[in-house]
This record gives sequence, C-alpha cells and structure tokens, in this order.
Amino acid sequence: MTGAELTIDLLAKHGVKEVFGYPGGAIMPIYDALYGSPVKHYLTRHEQGAGFAAVGYARSTGKLGVCFATSGPGATNLITALADAMMDSVPLLAITGQVPTAAIGSDAFQEVDVLGMSLSCTKHSYMVERAEDLAEILQEAMHLAQSGRPGPVLVDIPKDIQMGAVTYQPWLAADDYKPEFKQSELAKANELLSQAKKPLAYIGGGVQMADAQDELMQFLKTTNMPAVSTLKALGSVKPDYPYDLGMLGMHGGQAANLAVQECDLLVCIGARFDDRVTGNLAKFASKAKVIHLDVDAAEVGKRKPVNASLVADLKDSLPHLATHKTNPEWLAHISNMQQQHAWRYDYPGEKVYAPYLLNRLSQLMPNNGVVCCDVGQHQMWVAQHMKFSHPSNHLSSGGAGTMGFGLPAAIGAQIARPNDFVLTVSGDGSIMMNIQELATIRRNNLPVKLLILDNQRLGMVRQWQQLFFDGRYSETNLSDNPDFVQLAAVFGIPGETITHANQVDAAIDKLVASEGPYILHACIDDKENVWPLVPPGAANDQMLTEVAK
Amino acid sequence: MKHNLSIEVKQQSIALERFLRVTRHRGFNLTSMNIESSEEKYIVNMMVDSDRPIYLLTQQLKKLVEVNQVEILDTRTLAATN
Repeated sequence: MTGAELTIDLLAKHGVKEVFGYPGGAIMPIYDALYGSPVKHYLTRHEQGAGFAAVGYARSTGKLGVCFATSGPGATNLITALADAMMDSVPLLAITGQVPTAAIGSDAFQEVDVLGMSLSCTKHSYMVERAEDLAEILQEAMHLAQSGRPGPVLVDIPKDIQMGAVTYQPWLAADDYKPEFKQSELAKANELLSQAKKPLAYIGGGVQMADAQDELMQFLKTTNMPAVSTLKALGSVKPDYPYDLGMLGMHGGQAANLAVQECDLLVCIGARFDDRVTGNLAKFASKAKVIHLDVDAAEVGKRKPVNASLVADLKDSLPHLATHKTNPEWLAHISNMQQQHAWRYDYPGEKVYAPYLLNRLSQLMPNNGVVCCDVGQHQMWVAQHMKFSHPSNHLSSGGAGTMGFGLPAAIGAQIARPNDFVLTVSGDGSIMMNIQELATIRRNNLPVKLLILDNQRLGMVRQWQQLFFDGRYSETNLSDNPDFVQLAAVFGIPGETITHANQVDAAIDKLVASEGPYILHACIDDKENVWPLVPPGAANDQMLTEVAK
Repeated sequence: MKHNLSIEVKQQSIALERFLRVTRHRGFNLTSMNIESSEEKYIVNMMVDSDRPIYLLTQQLKKLVEVNQVEILDTRTLAATN
C-alpha cells in the first residue's frame, strides 16, 4: 500500500464520505488514490473555495470537514479558510501535498514552508517526515480536530511519502480531552445563582460545538433566565423561548445590550467575550458577577475576570447549575424591553428594505433550512432579522469575518445536507471574492439559492466612513459591478433582479419555489445602514440608532 | 513583570517554533532561554517579561499538543528583583 492509498483508506475508515479540493503536482499521488475510491471528491475552482466548502460541511453537520490542496500556492490559498476555522472552532482536516523530502529546503518549484505558515492558524499541524509515521499522524489529526475545543489541523505530506510503501497500523485513539470542573467552583457558581436578582445567560458558539442545545434549553426553561447570544450562537436558544433577547454586541438588539448592562449575574456559556460583543470591556456588564462555562481553560479570565468557572464539556457542566428562583420584576422588565425595542419592518420608502426581505424570507423558507452569509451589512441584517432553530442552520464567519465565505460554505452545506434548503445571502462586495464557485454549483447541479443585497458599495466600510471618517468614501463605491443575473446565467443559474419594495414578496416566493440553483439580485438603497451600532470604544448601552441619510 | 518558566516539550522539529510563536503573539517578551534536549523531549527554561498576567501565557502553552508540562518558577523573587 502507498502512502497516498493509506491516506484515502484512513479517511474512509474514519467515515469521511466527501472531501473538497484542487489537485496539483505535489498531491497527484493522493488524487490518483482517490480515483475510483469510495471517498467522493468535489472539485472547487480555487483552494480557498475548497477550504470554506469543508468549513460549511463541518458547521452544518458537526462532522469533520476535509480539504486537499497541492504544495506552494495551493496550500497558501487554504490559509484563510484555516484561520477562519481556527477563530470559529471548526473541526477541519487540511491535507496538503509537499515537494519530495529530499527537495525540502532547496526552494524547489511550488515549495512553501506550509508547516511554518500553519502555526498561527491551526489547532495543530504536522509535516510527515517518515513514511512509518503517516498512519498515526493522520489518525491523530482527525481525532484532534474534533476533540475538546474543535479546530483545524493540517497534515503536509511530501510527495515521496505519498508514493512510498507504508503499512497500516491501527492507532489507539487517545481519550477525548474531557476536563472535569472543580466541585468548589460549582459550589461558588450555585451560590452566585441563588443570590442573583437579575441573572442573564450569555450564549456562545460552544453550545453547538458541545452539542448541548438540549442541556441549554433545559437550564433556560427551568430558570426562566433571559438569554443573549453571540453571532455564532444564534439558533442555540429555541425561537419560541420567551426570554430570548437575540444577538448582543456591536450590532446587537437594544434589549439584549441593555439587559447585559443591567444584569447582576452573567452566566457565560461557551462564549469568549469577543471585542465585537463587549464593546468597551471595562464597561461591559459592569454590575455583574460572572460565571464562565467553557471546555477551554484558556478562555476563562482571558478578557474578563470571573467569579466562578466550570471548565468542562458544556454537556457535563450545564446540568449541574442550580435553578434559582425566578424574579418576576426582572422578567417583566425584560419583556417590556423586548416590546419596546422590537424590530420594525414598516419601512416607508419604495426601495427594497433588506431587513423586511430577510425577515419574510426567514418565515417562508422551508424548516431546517441553512442560511450562509458573507461579511458586512447583509451579514448583520441576517443575524438580526432571520430566525434559526439550530446554530448549524446559520453559517456566518464570526471570529475571522471573512468575505467570500458564504458561497463556498453553502456548497459544503448543500453537499452535506442534500435534502435541505440551502441559501447564501451575500453582498455585492463579498460575492465577488469567491464568485468562481458558481462553476462548482453548476458542475454538481447543486440547488443552492443565492440572494445578493446590492447597494453598489462596500456597505459596512461605507457606513463607518460616513459615521467615523467624515464621509470620505475611500474605495467603497462599487457602482461598476457586473450584472449579477447575467453573470449567474453564464453558469446556467436562472434568477431575477428586483429594485422596488412591491416586488419583494413575489420574488421571495419564486426563490423559495425554485427547484435548482437560483439567484435573487435585490438592489437596495446605498445609504441604508445597520442599526443599532455601538461605536468603537463605547459601552454597549451607548448605541447609535438611525441618523439622517 | 518577569517570570521564569520551565516547559517540557516533545522533541518534534516544529515544537520550539510553535511555543515561541504563542509566547510572542500573546504579548510576552523573551528575555532569556535555555534548551536541553534528551531523546524524546526538550526541557526549556525561559524568562519572559510582560505587563499581562502570566496565566494568559501558561494556559495557552498548555493547550499545545507538543507541550507536556508548564511550570512557573519563583515568580515572587523575580518580581521583587525586577
């Protein structure tokens, strides 16, 4: 058996059915082993597309995502997807070809020190130096990517090791990383819970990673504790929970941000006090004691001091939290704030109003559909105005904020969940970042739906230029965009353009009813901004709302 | 504040770069370092300097797959002589 055959064989043994990638010189033996193998390979049209398709595959299922690239530029093109997976804790295995062992360090054709480049954007990485290590490294890599706090793992395999003879040795998988919380910390946490008058749950992406949605809902329903969510956590709190305040942070809802500033106990469940969440950290939840639950000990106290911490898998720690007595005054106040600051969709203009469009689409699209998005204003509108029943139905590049994420992520999600409705919402800026993946949709006839909210601007940057840079609109005008419907048509994808509010409902019906891939190109007001907004450096209760256009 | 750390690392070619990268990125300056290697591991003694609390570094180092053990040596004495 060759190293390449062993690589494919181990993936299949591990249950990997689909991989994404792009061939090239130094990974040809692996592509040769793929030929006719039970592992199905999806060719993307750029290695970054393969990386994000694998991320979409992983995030929409909780399974390992796998991507391949060749040495040099192939591998460097994967780096952004690795960084994205690192920031959002996505279980990803990247296998890259490398020049033959004897050529390493000679500046050979397509040689890049990928192991060196991987250090800051992977959970762990390997270069296989000896053929006899290959089996153990691959098995350990798949295990590491998925255990504890998940993350991307890279295995760089020189071509001679792919071609050389190897023997398969089953590797006894190490136990999963499962830290146990301290009983003394649990006692402290439960004491804090019993004393709290205004407790608030702050939910993060860790809930999905730990598959702990049931445990979370059990805790919330028993305590009636109001909940705020990070971008990545959206969908963790079931939409029918009455005290769900939605997203907090820079573009969070007013009720969510005000509740954080008023609470006297913040129960952080698998979140990390990201700067886009906290605003001015010193003023974030400044009246609150903090309980932090996380599987990663390094997150505890990293940005905000805590009063008690449970370092463990959330599935194990959440059921041990005490259920305190509900404070009716606090809940009444929360309900009032929910009503007072509810989103409004009665937009007076004749133009397409993106929040209305997204909210209506959210109501009309099939249950358990997946919504992917890119990065910018449309991404925040999706987070604000669409509802999700599970975080695996909302794929948004959170920590890294990578434009170009949405289209390839949707491809990965559609391949992972062929029977589910998969939509990607993009902007006219972001969509051009991985537009070549329309060819992947066509090649595989994937029924991915594409909604482009087109303001002919790099809208989020334009918004900041308007608010914080004296209206000096440097390099954000994209009024020379191509005709997106024509562009999609070249790839065999039908669709339409709308420009007026009175076209929205019918256009949504058409998009939802379309059987194959479809594009809805919605032209929106270029001066529309995302509100509310916590300005940089401000506390979260200092939200800006609508200003004159 | 200066801290003296003793770190046991598996002897793998990339291991030293990996923990030095984390040390720099998390905001700690390396002021001295000594490495001893045996068959399977490196024992690294290093002095780092930062305004940030040392647990922010040690918790990150402990997460690295190649790092077997991280120990903080004699913090108080070093702080007093700093």
